[in-house]
Amino acid sequence: MTVDLILFLILALVAVATAAGMLFSRNAVYSALFLVLNFASIAVFYLLLGAPFIAMAQITVYAGAIMVLFLFVIMLLGAEQLAPIKVLPWQRPLAIGLAAVLVAETAYLLILRAKPAADIIPPAETVNTLGELQRLGMALFNQYLLPFEVTSILLLVAMVGAIVLTKREKGERE
Amino acid sequence: MATPTLTETLDLSAKFPGAVTADARPGYTGWIVEAGKLLEVAAFLRDEMGYDLLSSVTGVDYLPDEKMEVVYQAYKTTGGPGIFFKVQAPRLDPIEVPSVVPIWPGADLQEREIWDLYGVKFTGHPDLRRILTWEGFSGHPMRKDWKEAFYEEDAKPFKSRWPEGRIKMAEERNPFGDNVTFDEGFDPEKWTSNDPEEALYTSLKKYTAETSDGIKTDHILVNMGPQHPSTHGVFRAVVILDGETVVSLKPVMGYLHRNHEKIGERNTFLQNMPYTDRLDYFNSMSNNWGYALAVEKLMGVAVPERAEYIRVIMAELSRIQNHLIWTGMMLNDLGAYFTPALYAFEERELILDIFEAVAGSRMMCNYFRFGGLARDLPEGTLEKIKDLVFDRLAAKVDEFDRLLTENEILVARLKGISKLSPEDAVAYSMTGPVLRAAGVPYDIRRAEPYGIYDRFDFDVVTQTDGDMYARYLVRLEEMRQSLRILRQAIAGLPEGPIITGKPQYQVRVPAGEAYGRIEAPKGELGYYVISNGKPNPWRYHVRAPSFINLTALEKMCVGGKIADFVAILGTIDIVLGELDR
Amino acid sequence: MIWEWLIKALVLIFTLLIGFGYLTYYERRALAFIQSRLGPNRAGPQGLMQWMADAVKLIFKEELTPDNAYKLVFFLSPVVTMVPSIVIAAVIPWGPPVTLFGQTFNQYVADINVGILYLMSIASIAVYGIVLAGWSSNNKYAMMGGLRSSAQMISYELTLGLSFVVVILMAGSMSLVEIVEAQREVTWFAVIQPVGAILFFIATLAEVNRHPFDMPEAEQEIVAGYHTEYSGMKFALFFMAEYQKMIVISAIMTTLFFGGYLGPGVDRFPWLGPLYMAIKIIILLFFMIWVRASWPRIRYNRLMAFGWKVMLPLALALVFITATGILLADTMGNPWLMAIIPVLSLIAGWIATLMVDRSLRRKSYA
Repeated sequence: MTVDLILFLILALVAVATAAGMLFSRNAVYSALFLVLNFASIAVFYLLLGAPFIAMAQITVYAGAIMVLFLFVIMLLGAEQLAPIKVLPWQRPLAIGLAAVLVAETAYLLILRAKPAADIIPPAETVNTLGELQRLGMALFNQYLLPFEVTSILLLVAMVGAIVLTKREKGERE
Repeated sequence: MATPTLTETLDLSAKFPGAVTADARPGYTGWIVEAGKLLEVAAFLRDEMGYDLLSSVTGVDYLPDEKMEVVYQAYKTTGGPGIFFKVQAPRLDPIEVPSVVPIWPGADLQEREIWDLYGVKFTGHPDLRRILTWEGFSGHPMRKDWKEAFYEEDAKPFKSRWPEGRIKMAEERNPFGDNVTFDEGFDPEKWTSNDPEEALYTSLKKYTAETSDGIKTDHILVNMGPQHPSTHGVFRAVVILDGETVVSLKPVMGYLHRNHEKIGERNTFLQNMPYTDRLDYFNSMSNNWGYALAVEKLMGVAVPERAEYIRVIMAELSRIQNHLIWTGMMLNDLGAYFTPALYAFEERELILDIFEAVAGSRMMCNYFRFGGLARDLPEGTLEKIKDLVFDRLAAKVDEFDRLLTENEILVARLKGISKLSPEDAVAYSMTGPVLRAAGVPYDIRRAEPYGIYDRFDFDVVTQTDGDMYARYLVRLEEMRQSLRILRQAIAGLPEGPIITGKPQYQVRVPAGEAYGRIEAPKGELGYYVISNGKPNPWRYHVRAPSFINLTALEKMCVGGKIADFVAILGTIDIVLGELDR
Repeated sequence: MIWEWLIKALVLIFTLLIGFGYLTYYERRALAFIQSRLGPNRAGPQGLMQWMADAVKLIFKEELTPDNAYKLVFFLSPVVTMVPSIVIAAVIPWGPPVTLFGQTFNQYVADINVGILYLMSIASIAVYGIVLAGWSSNNKYAMMGGLRSSAQMISYELTLGLSFVVVILMAGSMSLVEIVEAQREVTWFAVIQPVGAILFFIATLAEVNRHPFDMPEAEQEIVAGYHTEYSGMKFALFFMAEYQKMIVISAIMTTLFFGGYLGPGVDRFPWLGPLYMAIKIIILLFFMIWVRASWPRIRYNRLMAFGWKVMLPLALALVFITATGILLADTMGNPWLMAIIPVLSLIAGWIATLMVDRSLRRKSYA
């Protein structure tokens, strides 16, 4: 248990540090890289929780695909150096206010609503088998089929929209 | 060989009275055109008379007459003799001549070369910058009064090399020291590449302005070369890219420039023969022939039958090995990992064996002489040639065809890319396989036969698409046609002498001008030689196909991808030794 | 327990490193054989020590770091490239369990139930090294190489993933050990799903940047792509990573489609497992080398078009066909109905080839 705890603490430190690094880095590429590290440490959290499928999916989808696209776009646009941004006058107070609300909500939920850990984390044996994976699939394609499909249609619409926005009309100009 | 009289059908002086006069200097032909009327005459020649191919533009410095002359050689793509016309300008600064780029875009690079080497300003030229020497170079090195670093004397053999029988280092005794001069205000120590390159980059920028599109992306300026694996040497192309698409391109050359023509003017006529080997070092045999042809025209010597046949055999073997290597290297440019190139080298070595047997050298052959050849075929060489021509090469060409022509990736990379219409190809003075691939059946061996090419039965290979695939097919088929010529030449090879008269170190060349041109494997290779009766040529100009075929490079590349640029450069088939001279 | 893992991991790493050395030798000799020349034959008997000479040369070469490079990333990216290429091999089973000193050992470092997802995630991480190398070099060629590789890898990962799905469907498991064992019952998956195997092979060529998809380092176009500015051992790390990826990806392909360590007599003599693996890997590697020796590179935009317009739809069709075939065989209770999978997928592959062919026959395209 202590090994897990030490690991958790180290990982938590890494996760928080990389998240902060992402925010404060002046170079967009470094920001993206910090985010990748952050995703990776979160994936290890999942592993610790005994959910290897989610961990691998996290790495494949977020670190492997999405962040590579981010990097691709940053490099393609040559936008490594962030231009000095004009800060809107009401932006900062609003951000602080919203952050405070978020912290309050989280604290409220954690303190008042959180169940004992044993209830949330299922025993490792059941998670780490194929059965769990099948259950995940069943849940996704039976119980949550509609949200799943709606999400995929949403993504499709976004994709089509992007293509329509960038595609030149025929004969407009070569 | 009878030199056709160039002017028999056309009297320009009657058409443009006062503005055009016949060139009456002894040994000269053609017309002298008033500078102000040049464009009018040029347009008339192109549109009314059908001289659509401007073969060569070059300058001549007549220092004793205080005149600078620009010589134009125009030909008809339908064949027949060409027309020479000249513009003379007083040798004062600045020397100004109107540019013929609006009429013949193919004059672009050549006029830049004349500006660079002779300092003739072409008014109306779109982009007149130095081309062979570097920006910041002082003076115009082909002028007769320009003295290079470590200058000794005007003409070889240098008498200063053995005063009183003792040999001195040239550096020890020449009165001009290292003779490096710079423009006013130019300090080589403080030179940074930005200022002189500015002209180059601004010449590109005007293209970028046109491509601003709905979505703005950064254009990347990439210097491909001079150190780049696939520019075939130290060639540089400044490319502006929109992602991977070429938006604008300028060739930059001259990194191997050694002022070949000035060296040629210092040398005696015969000393020049080995120098021509170094131009297109793949085809020293053809290079020799072009030069021999020009000087033979001046000397008026005939070539013995046997020598003519051997010349044809050597030139066609040279063409085959050039096209083989081209095919291999082209595939390398496309990314094939050396396999086709090594297959081609295998055959080339066998052809080089023959060159070695006849000339003693594999690449720098130096085999031709004025009025014949250096030596006869050694014992057994003809059998080797027969083996190659009748058995091996034909099968190998078929093997290349079988392995490559239908390859899906090759087709996908070559077909439909960098299309050049026949009109454009002619306008840009393209010659050789590139022109024929665009559908213009122009082959000097047929259009204006030299040597004994009028006796052979062969086809001028053409394709209609004008794309890279067509260029590949043309070269492949040309190898077959060369083999056809070779078979006829071997069958007809007579016995007899191989040189007219006695071999001599010093030839007597009467005063006059001559333009000898041959269909080299890469295109029209022309030598423009002027003699003033002295042992050294007064003017020695090389019309290099590698150089002039690059004029259309930008037109061919823009809109394509960066990978296409490499392939296009490959299909033009350049050799830097010839390009930079 | 931990010692077993450690030793197995070390053995695996050393096998890969030595394998890398001999793969370069193998490739050079095979290329030379195809190109009618000899290849390296001086260092050691038949040139067998050539790789060591090369390694020594590379170690002693001067290492240059460009002034304007992003130093930290520039330094890290060879490592980031190298690590995944070794780590990915952890889940590959090299043979059935063996008994040694009275104890039973499994011939793999780890068998995780999401083995294939592990492969996917490590493969997707591998692109970072290349992209970052390209960016941090601060060189235009390197940048273009990095951009090309990221676009290329993302595109071909989809096909790769769908080929994985085909295998998962057939094996009913994501664990590589179970996939191999599933092939013991039926037959090699390459027989059931030949087009899937070919698709997988093509996609892996793109994943490891091999000819004819070696855009990120296309010498003729962008000098050396992402590793233009690298020299000495840093360059060697990229080189090693590329060749180790070749070995590992061939091992994965063997596992997924060619029965892994299975072969005659492997149950009685479990040590034959790694041998069969090695033979199959060497044969697959020869195909990679053969492709390199024979074909020119295809152009970048056509590579993308090929990936998205041909490979991806075909892979989707294969998933559909495989699922249908398995479902049919299950519901009808007749395993021979599985035979419709190869038939239908060959037809699909044939149609795809026809489409490619037709687009080639077109007179003009950009």
